[in-house]
Amino acid sequence: MQWLRAWWRIIRLGARVLALALSAPAYAPRFRRLVLARIYLGTAPLLLWFTVLSSLLGLVIIRIVVVTATSYGLSQYALQMVVRVLVLELIPLTAAIFVALRVALPDSGETAALRARGVLHEHTRAGVERLVREVAPRVAAGVFAVVALAAVSGVVTLILAYLTIYGFVGGGLAQYTRTVGHVFHPSVTLVFVLKTFFLSLAVGLIPVGSALYDAPQRRSRSSMEIRVLVRLFLVILLIEAVSLVGNYY
Amino acid sequence: MPHPEQSTPPVAHLELKATLLLILMGLLLAGTVLYVLYARGVFEPTQRLTLIAENSEGVVVGMDMTFAGFPIGRVRAIELGEAGNARILIDVPRKDARWLRESSVYTLVRGLLGNTNLRAYTGIPEDPPLKDGAEKPVLIGDAAAEIPRLTSAVSELLQRLGALTAPDSALGLTLANVRDVSEKLKGPGGALSVLMGNEADARKLILTIERGNALLARVDGAVARLDGMIGRTDRMIERADAQVLGDAGLMRDVRATVTELNATLAAARTLLAGVQEVVGEAKGAATNARVATADLGVLRADVEANLRKLQHLLDEISRRWPFARDTELKLP
Repeated sequence: MQWLRAWWRIIRLGARVLALALSAPAYAPRFRRLVLARIYLGTAPLLLWFTVLSSLLGLVIIRIVVVTATSYGLSQYALQMVVRVLVLELIPLTAAIFVALRVALPDSGETAALRARGVLHEHTRAGVERLVREVAPRVAAGVFAVVALAAVSGVVTLILAYLTIYGFVGGGLAQYTRTVGHVFHPSVTLVFVLKTFFLSLAVGLIPVGSALYDAPQRRSRSSMEIRVLVRLFLVILLIEAVSLVGNYY
Repeated sequence: MPHPEQSTPPVAHLELKATLLLILMGLLLAGTVLYVLYARGVFEPTQRLTLIAENSEGVVVGMDMTFAGFPIGRVRAIELGEAGNARILIDVPRKDARWLRESSVYTLVRGLLGNTNLRAYTGIPEDPPLKDGAEKPVLIGDAAAEIPRLTSAVSELLQRLGALTAPDSALGLTLANVRDVSEKLKGPGGALSVLMGNEADARKLILTIERGNALLARVDGAVARLDGMIGRTDRMIERADAQVLGDAGLMRDVRATVTELNATLAAARTLLAGVQEVVGEAKGAATNARVATADLGVLRADVEANLRKLQHLLDEISRRWPFARDTELKLP
């Protein structure tokens, strides 16, 4: 039952952070500066590297898909497949994992250190406020980083797909746009948006929440990180599975 | 107790950079949303076309309707009509609707791989344009439905082919005959023995050909002689030509004679004119003579009248005169 209670507390923390995001104190100058700093530091260093890496990986996959589809005489389906596989499925997933490893895990470690020093507690009103104010910027940074990385890489991949299939000419733009329009069916788009949102929320919330609410372990910090990662990956897997069910069943 | 602000490392113009990042992300997301909406055709004015089909198998919402290979419409919904048929609702952008006419034909073709294509054809571009909300029937062509028929046809074809190529079939016998013929062709008589049926006739044919050759040789000699005759005839014609048309030829004499004849004719013409005058005068004399003859008749009548008067007078004198004889006859 302990893990169930931990999950419940994480979900409650998420609700508190969202409530804070929708309330006026979140936009007070001092707190806003803190959130902006977290967001910038969580996203900017990753953005370039992740975009480059995902572009390279995307280029390889696009090439494989296009060549294979052409060899079977199914080139008209190549673009659809590229957009579905890369933009809708792989890139959000990769972005979530990337942010989890590079941003959320260090934040989790910092939160655990704060907790160990006894700074964060929920026994008093001021303690809860302090906790939310300390945690919320980190959660916001994780959420924003996942969304930003997925959005930039998705757009870059769409451009690369066009260039790979049609080359540096504008003649295929109408057909390309039509195909992209086909793929982004309203239900598919809704599932994509919800999936990205929940992935980003999981990446922002679970590591920090685990650091706050997990029972103190005697084992090392690395074992805690592995536990957080396993929990996060399980949630990511669940979200991915639900999105696939939503899209293709 | 560490202050929250102290937990972030210092970065120059952090707030500005973070704001810029947020604005860029906002723009990127807004641009992506607008692009997807544009790609979905949200900003494009459309008109509705309803296609009525027996069934909507293979048709999915979002699939294209093509015209000459270009997508000009998108399936928005599929519904079951009151009559139990499928109603395929298609949104056609107004700028593409000009390709569709009232007489346009729509087909729903299902391929062998399960791919379904909705196509429009316009045969008469001058027809009135398609109205908004038009309902049209769609023709269905199913390639998969042809497979059983095709399989049975192929099976029948293979059976016939097997029967055709059997050893005792007509084709087999024909091929055996062809083999016999080819062996004969390779024999001493060759093709002639094939044509004639036996070697004796083939020999006769060869003899005939040889005689024909000899005949041709003789004809060649005759032709050579004929050539000589033609040569001589040519020379004769040349000589005749020189005699007739040459400087001292017959033609020149004929020309001179004709000239003299012309002069003679002119003289004769003059003479004839004189003769015509004489004839004219003779005609006048004859006329006068005819008049004179008429007068003579009158004169003779006068003379005869006068003579009759004189006779009558004499007769009167004689009767009255004493010496007149009794001329009266007295009957006894």
